[in-house]
Amino acid sequence: MNSDVAVLPESGLPEGLRQPPVLIGEIRPGGVDDQVLSHVFEKPPKAWFIAFACTSAALLIGLAMIGYTLAVGIGAWGNNMPVAWAFAIINFVFWVGIGHAGTLISAILLLFRARWRNAISRFSEAMTIFAVMCAGIFPLIHVGRPWLAFFLFPYPNQRGIWPNFRSPLIWDVVAVSTYFSVSLLFWYLGLMPDLASLRDRTRTKTRKLVYSVLALGWRGAASHWQHYERAYLIIAGLATGLVLSVHSVVSFDFAVSLLPGWHMTIFPPYFVTGAIFAGFAMVVMALVVVRSTMHLENLITEYHLEVMNKVILTCSCLMGYAYLLEGFTAWYSMNSYVHHTFMQYIAGTYRWAGWTTITCNILIPQLLWSRWFRRHYAGMIFVAVAVTIGMWFERFVIIVSSLHQDFLPSAWHIYRPTIVDYGILLGSFGLFFTLVLLFARVLPVIATTEMKMVLPGSQPHHQGRGHE
Amino acid sequence: MSKRSAFSVVGIFESPQLLMNAIPGIKAKVTARLEAYTPYPIEGIDRLLGLRKSPIGGMVLVMGIIGAIAGLSFELWTSGVDYPLRTAGKPYFSWEAFIPVMFEVTVLFATFTAGLGMLLLLNRLPLFRHPMLRSKALPLVTRDKFALAVEAGAGELDPEAVAKMLQESGAESVEVIEMPAPAGPLSPVFFFNAFAALAVSCVLAGLLTYWATKLFPILPPMVHMLDQPRLDPQRADSFFTDGFGMRMPVPETVTHDSVPYTIRSQDYAGSLVNPMPRSESVLHRGRQAYTNYCAVCHGVLGNGSPSLTAAYGAKPANLVSQKFIDLPDGKIYHVIMAGKNAMPSYAADIVESDRWAAIHYVRVLQRAMNAKDEDIPK
Amino acid sequence: MNWDTGTKLKLAAAVGCAGVISTFLISGSERFWANWILWFLFLLTIGLGSLFIVALEHVVGARWSIPLRRIPERLSTFALLMGPAALVALLSLRFLYPWTKPESLNDPVIAGKASWLNVPFFSLRVILCAGLWILAYRILVSGSLEQDRKRDPKFNLRARRFAPLFMAVFAITITVVAFDWISSLEPKWYSDIFGVYLFAGTFLAGLAATTLALLYLKSRGRFREIGPDHMYNLGGFLFAFTVFWSYIGFAQYMLMWYANMPEEVFWYKERLQGAWGPLLLVLAVFHFLVPFFVLMPREAKGDPRFLFWTASVMLFSHWLDLYWMIFPVLRRGPLLGWPELSFGFLFVSGGLIWIRHVMNRGADMPVGDPLLREGLEFRL
Repeated sequence: MNSDVAVLPESGLPEGLRQPPVLIGEIRPGGVDDQVLSHVFEKPPKAWFIAFACTSAALLIGLAMIGYTLAVGIGAWGNNMPVAWAFAIINFVFWVGIGHAGTLISAILLLFRARWRNAISRFSEAMTIFAVMCAGIFPLIHVGRPWLAFFLFPYPNQRGIWPNFRSPLIWDVVAVSTYFSVSLLFWYLGLMPDLASLRDRTRTKTRKLVYSVLALGWRGAASHWQHYERAYLIIAGLATGLVLSVHSVVSFDFAVSLLPGWHMTIFPPYFVTGAIFAGFAMVVMALVVVRSTMHLENLITEYHLEVMNKVILTCSCLMGYAYLLEGFTAWYSMNSYVHHTFMQYIAGTYRWAGWTTITCNILIPQLLWSRWFRRHYAGMIFVAVAVTIGMWFERFVIIVSSLHQDFLPSAWHIYRPTIVDYGILLGSFGLFFTLVLLFARVLPVIATTEMKMVLPGSQPHHQGRGHE
Repeated sequence: MSKRSAFSVVGIFESPQLLMNAIPGIKAKVTARLEAYTPYPIEGIDRLLGLRKSPIGGMVLVMGIIGAIAGLSFELWTSGVDYPLRTAGKPYFSWEAFIPVMFEVTVLFATFTAGLGMLLLLNRLPLFRHPMLRSKALPLVTRDKFALAVEAGAGELDPEAVAKMLQESGAESVEVIEMPAPAGPLSPVFFFNAFAALAVSCVLAGLLTYWATKLFPILPPMVHMLDQPRLDPQRADSFFTDGFGMRMPVPETVTHDSVPYTIRSQDYAGSLVNPMPRSESVLHRGRQAYTNYCAVCHGVLGNGSPSLTAAYGAKPANLVSQKFIDLPDGKIYHVIMAGKNAMPSYAADIVESDRWAAIHYVRVLQRAMNAKDEDIPK
Repeated sequence: MNWDTGTKLKLAAAVGCAGVISTFLISGSERFWANWILWFLFLLTIGLGSLFIVALEHVVGARWSIPLRRIPERLSTFALLMGPAALVALLSLRFLYPWTKPESLNDPVIAGKASWLNVPFFSLRVILCAGLWILAYRILVSGSLEQDRKRDPKFNLRARRFAPLFMAVFAITITVVAFDWISSLEPKWYSDIFGVYLFAGTFLAGLAATTLALLYLKSRGRFREIGPDHMYNLGGFLFAFTVFWSYIGFAQYMLMWYANMPEEVFWYKERLQGAWGPLLLVLAVFHFLVPFFVLMPREAKGDPRFLFWTASVMLFSHWLDLYWMIFPVLRRGPLLGWPELSFGFLFVSGGLIWIRHVMNRGADMPVGDPLLREGLEFRL
């Protein structure tokens, strides 16, 4: 619903109505290229190498733990009966959720013609792809025999049996692989013109060859732009459908079951909201780092951070509504099992996780009502970290707490994660941030072509105004 | 440079407005094809250049519908026709459960139609040999300039005249792009052939994979689940020193609710008391047990002359003789349990209650076969 | 007699009124009250949806919709008008709602809920919700109307501060409306998502009503400055939230179908048997398929003719949605007779009369809003 880029002087308006500027300073298209593309050609600062070392170390620990699991079996994890699904599925849902923010920013905001999105869309899309890659590891390794994972795909085989298309687990396979391919295609198509810019700027022969091949010979022809724009908009519309559907399909993993605490019709929109919530928190954290280390404060402005924090706040309120409704329905349903499960969330074995969830997801983000928290790094990082922790624990509560005390008291059992579980979780963060760091050095973090589109004077007939 | 070898003449403009202003004028003066090169899409330029509307919307809609139908049909076929499987009691054609995958497949088909259709079909990319890619103008364009190219196409172009036209229309610089050299070994045809070869090898690789996956599950480690360290029935096993997998029960093992029979000689069995009452149901039961197990040898009438005697030459006891009338129940019981002479033990065949019931029935036979006049009802 | 629209509407309303009274006297109280609840909720959701649109604009700080804002502001008066209708509807409780009957307390499930589902608390909730909506109206809408005179930009700030709070209030109250008026018709049934489901329908109803009103008024020569770019945005929202409503509706249905728990599916079984099943199919076609495919092309989203017909179909489907949820409680199959028609005449014409009256009360646009000019200059 947002309209134009507010480069107009808003001095006529009272303070509270003025939007902070989306772009700061006099920016020319060539300047965007110089500022953003230079990072691709320069040597990274020392801090980058230190960060890369840390994230790679985490990644290696994760890989080692995964290797150990493949050699020894799932017994190395803390899974037991009845908590047969624990860290693997928590991490899967966590990472898939984080991916959704990127698609929302690049696809949904494109459809809303929100021009401020252009500065952050490329980076968010990249985060989506990396998050989905991290997520995809878990369904693969959490099956008993990962080398038979091809069983999940519908190919004619001598077993004579097809995958069970009625199962939400197969829906997951289809949905997440669709999501990954669509996001990758969307990201790549958006990158093409920027790769063409890189191809035309670079001096090194190898780099030129690589960029030439990747740019597919893009030359910015108007006849090409016409089809390109249409296709990009259509894919954005389709990706929007994916934002809703993929995490809904993930929620169906739980909601189609009979388990109290899992079988709740509100799960689909609740999970989607949670996904956007966690994703935006991750985007905020990453963008703060990118913005300050790469000196992009004039392109990724306070406006962007302010809006993203407001989205986080909105999602936090929506999550609060969902929790409230869960609690109310736990009573209203007059179902003693549902009631028991809900009481377990707040007063049972894992109540510390339940209260962490509520505090980190509902209470702490309310700090974002205050402008200080929305505008200062310390404030927003604090809230973003809290949200990330809170959303991870929310999945923990939903999965582990509901499972550990289900219908049959004789089956109740405590779940304790093992060091292997923690290692793999750490590894997933390592993978994600390693990929983010690599992306920041190898490709432009801001979509330079899209930025040029929203600079003032970028379109004819509307001088002094940015347009798409 | 001869007049014939120009591929196109490119004018560079400072701003999109200048470019847009120049187009109508140039379009009116030349018949050659005009192409604009811009760092980002310019609104309204399609109209000015006379470009037709992009067909991509229609393509995506059609492929999306095909995707929806394909996805749903595939699910219905696999789950309802090829291998109908009942899961969770749902009907075979459970469309509700098939919608999520159908939706995702629709999005997949539509997206790849949009993306790949746009790239490969409509824009004919990748194309690495276009002369514009080697021009000096393109780096300017991808940075921040706007270019208008007058392309010779099939016809001829007068470079100087066109260059002058462009400069008069506001171009800040003009470049003439020469015709590209004829295709070297790395021509599009070469790439097409390479691609075809790749496709064929992919198909072969697929077939190979199919064969391998048929073979694969019977190679280690896939077969490890088949080879389990457990004792199978009726197989030798080295786990036990005698090599037998199946074990005999421990000596003195008894079945459920069986009481060990410890009497060794018929002489001591006389003290056993028949616990079954002489009721009609017990006698019926006894008759059934006798008919099933005893009549074969001892005869239906208990007189030791069954159909078998003539064939096998055995001489079973005449149970209705005086000797047996005098024999106490316990001693008959002993013979059932321990066997006698040629008769084996029937302890495993007849349950405890039936044994005693059969003995009651034998008494019935004895009375019937030695009936007195008083027994005949008046 | 001057047969202009106003007179025709008044005649239709009179006919409807007569029919409604005859229904009350002849057709039995259950049918009467079912119709009352249906129409009361229909107009209430239009009003609440419009109020939500107004608040949403303030929360997000949207500028493109400012020229249009007066329409949903006026439509939100339905939320107030339905206050008295709600109080009248309280009389329906003992006819339609099983939990009001003393024998229902024999059922432990209903007895357990009796602390929530009892007439005094129910009435209190109705009054509280109505009060909150009146308060929101005063702050958001009355303030906007006053701004026409006072030209004070402080209203915008006040609205921006209050609107998020209203969102929270709206979320709770729409959930309460859904659970109380519709879900408790079958008191043993529950669904978490029901509040979200009614919200989706409400928002769509508000959007559709706004679109229809805008197009109608444009055809009368008003709102000349509103161009295809604004219409495109409205069309885009209608499209997007059609998909959203369908998604929520499907999610609720599919989850209950899949788990197949008797305490949940009986609600759907009631609404799928006999002629209700085909009616649900009709609902799916008109509430999802038709708007989805008609509004999919880019050009259609901004085209007034497509928008007019699609918005009308959507408003009708929202009514059908409520009908399909409420009427099966009568256990008689879909009823369409004189009672339904007369209620339709009364409420539709009454509603239109009200809107005509209210849209002529003041300026067509919020002329006091400092951002109005920007809103008018909005281009895609």
